[in-house]
Amino acid sequence: MKGKGFKALMLATVLLLSTSLAACGSAGNTGSTTKDGDTPAGQNDKIKLKIYAAYFDDDTKKPYDYAVEELKKEMPNVELDLEPSMQDDGQKLRTYAASGNLPDIFPTDYRTIKAFAQSKNIEMLDNAAPTAAFKNDLNPGNETNMIAPDGHIYSYPFAGIEFQILYYNKKLFEEAGVKAPIKTYDEWKDAIQKFKAKGILPLSIFSKEKWIGNAFYKGLLTREEPNGYSVLDKATELPEAFKLAAQQFNDLKDAGLFDANATNTNYDQASSLFYTGKAAMFLNGQWEIYSSDKNLGDDVDWMYWPAKDEATYEATKFNMNGMGQPGGFSVSPTSKNKETAIEVAAFLARKYAEYKYTQLGNPIVAVKIDKPVAVTPPKMMQRLIDETLPNIKSFMKMTEEIKINSAFEDNTQNLIVKGFTDKNFVDNMERVMKEVNK
Amino acid sequence: MRKYYRNKWAIMLFALPALLLYTLIVIYPVLQSMYRSFFDWDGLGEGTFNGLDNYIRLFNDPLLMTSLKNGALFALVLVVFQLGLGTIMALVIADPRLRGRKVLKTGYFIPVVLSVTVVCQLWIAIYDPTNGLINKLFQVLGIPYQQNWLSSPTVSIIAIAFVNAWQYMGYQFSLLYAGVKSIPEQYMEAATIDGCTKWGAHRRITIPMMVETYKFCLIIAVTSGISAFVQMLIMTNGGPGTTNYTLTFMIYRYAFGEFEYGYACAVAVVLVAISLLVTAIINRVFRQEKVTH
Repeated sequence: MKGKGFKALMLATVLLLSTSLAACGSAGNTGSTTKDGDTPAGQNDKIKLKIYAAYFDDDTKKPYDYAVEELKKEMPNVELDLEPSMQDDGQKLRTYAASGNLPDIFPTDYRTIKAFAQSKNIEMLDNAAPTAAFKNDLNPGNETNMIAPDGHIYSYPFAGIEFQILYYNKKLFEEAGVKAPIKTYDEWKDAIQKFKAKGILPLSIFSKEKWIGNAFYKGLLTREEPNGYSVLDKATELPEAFKLAAQQFNDLKDAGLFDANATNTNYDQASSLFYTGKAAMFLNGQWEIYSSDKNLGDDVDWMYWPAKDEATYEATKFNMNGMGQPGGFSVSPTSKNKETAIEVAAFLARKYAEYKYTQLGNPIVAVKIDKPVAVTPPKMMQRLIDETLPNIKSFMKMTEEIKINSAFEDNTQNLIVKGFTDKNFVDNMERVMKEVNK
Repeated sequence: MRKYYRNKWAIMLFALPALLLYTLIVIYPVLQSMYRSFFDWDGLGEGTFNGLDNYIRLFNDPLLMTSLKNGALFALVLVVFQLGLGTIMALVIADPRLRGRKVLKTGYFIPVVLSVTVVCQLWIAIYDPTNGLINKLFQVLGIPYQQNWLSSPTVSIIAIAFVNAWQYMGYQFSLLYAGVKSIPEQYMEAATIDGCTKWGAHRRITIPMMVETYKFCLIIAVTSGISAFVQMLIMTNGGPGTTNYTLTFMIYRYAFGEFEYGYACAVAVVLVAISLLVTAIINRVFRQEKVTH
């Protein structure tokens, strides 16, 4: 009896295993059918392209929807299959690349371009059909957004060179008796004391994100070294301008510029402090203009970065705290409809720029737009358009070394914390530079 | 049934699916990580063999020391809090005369089933230096001590470890409680008859007889500390700077932030090696004859 029972059990197990394996096989077959079905060209004349793009809020949904509507008019035979991208530092895209499943069109930044170009996971667009016209239509200075440091083109950009500015609450400045704009560090330190005396946080910063502390440091640096981090290529010691910026950063921290919890404050918390009148200043990119205008109306304006003295301030105020780097829409080299995908990528990049320009009144886009602006831009944006954009002297230039950039992010965040000095900053940075540029 | 136990083919047949699965999802990735740790590899291409370069670089990387120190501190907090307090709670709740034992047992376990994100957000609010519960409590009690719990390079790692210890204490408690309950009542009765106090009996009988349970709990606590990651990611993102890094955070940074998968694999190998070493040491320290009741 026991023997029969054991045999029955064995048989049941084998059946169970074989059923599981059959199920796996069946799933695989289904996948392959779906894959074949993804390329219906020739069956109904529609070319279906898979696109991986940001699509999670108004800032990302509206330009995409606008571009898709325009695409329907321009290329009615193309259908886009959108996969909304994850906010995961490009990890999903890299997984797609590693497993050979890249979508036809995907967004890239320079780090992705660099990695994908090395592993041949990105189509080189130097001689692609739309490239010459696209290059020709670039706004002046935007070449860095299209041409990679290796001299090749891997993406069609839509954003212009964006930069960080200091926003301030005019009402709080008046209340505390601080003259705006602040032009020098001495004025800045004096302002900090006045704000603190009134119980106002001098500057709200979302330093849980490391890039913003780095942006603050770059803002100080541009007053002395407009080229930014690019001068560090092959250097093993920090130049004086970098040391001075670190010292100024540290002095401002010691004077009480930042909130005690700054390194654990996210964007929502920091912006809320600014919008509700608890913080006098706020640091963010020029894209913040829309939110600040919506929340503070006429009470908000922006200012250039202060410098060591007024003469330096006047001489350097148009050295912008921002830098261009390649990025935009790229195409997979394994796309079955590569030529169409390239055309569509270039078209979408143009339409994204067009949306920003015509619907938001934002002129900081990669390519020239020949359509009129359909809205009145916020006052702060208009000021940027009239006063700044025509006079920009320089943008920073990036260093290609990811490790040096990461070290700046770590150590500028450290600089916000009490007890970490500018000397610690210099020591840490030089250690990394020696390791990278040995 | 004994006949089946003697049948090696039957044992193999039943064990094979689990072994295959374990090999596929644990052994194979570990071996792959070891192999890849000898490459300069960005996770996409084939990579270039670079021998021991990744390991030489790792042992000269100041982040390794930071991570090891943080891992050790994290593990220490977990051991002291989870095993120490867990033992006291288990002994107290094992006493049948205690009222409300069921409520307490459930209460201790509630944090375990909460989402890590929820727990971290809760403690971020508690640790807030300006409006947080702890600093406010000090103010109310007139204690002139204020701390920047999550930004201080010295305190933040302990503050974060405490959150993990608090959340998973219920898990360790349940293991210890089961250990206490598995000891036959007769031993305690005999000790009481011999004039031993309740806590004396626990010290001389209950705790020594729970060696196997403690060994298991200790391994869990120490390896959890060494490989801690999620709480740092959510609460401070490893910062300020890199002050809250652990080995797992190093892996995350180098693989997903700097695309140095080969180097990240070398860190992963060191993490696995340390975890195995610690487990072996704990096993050796706790080695003794098996207690049978």
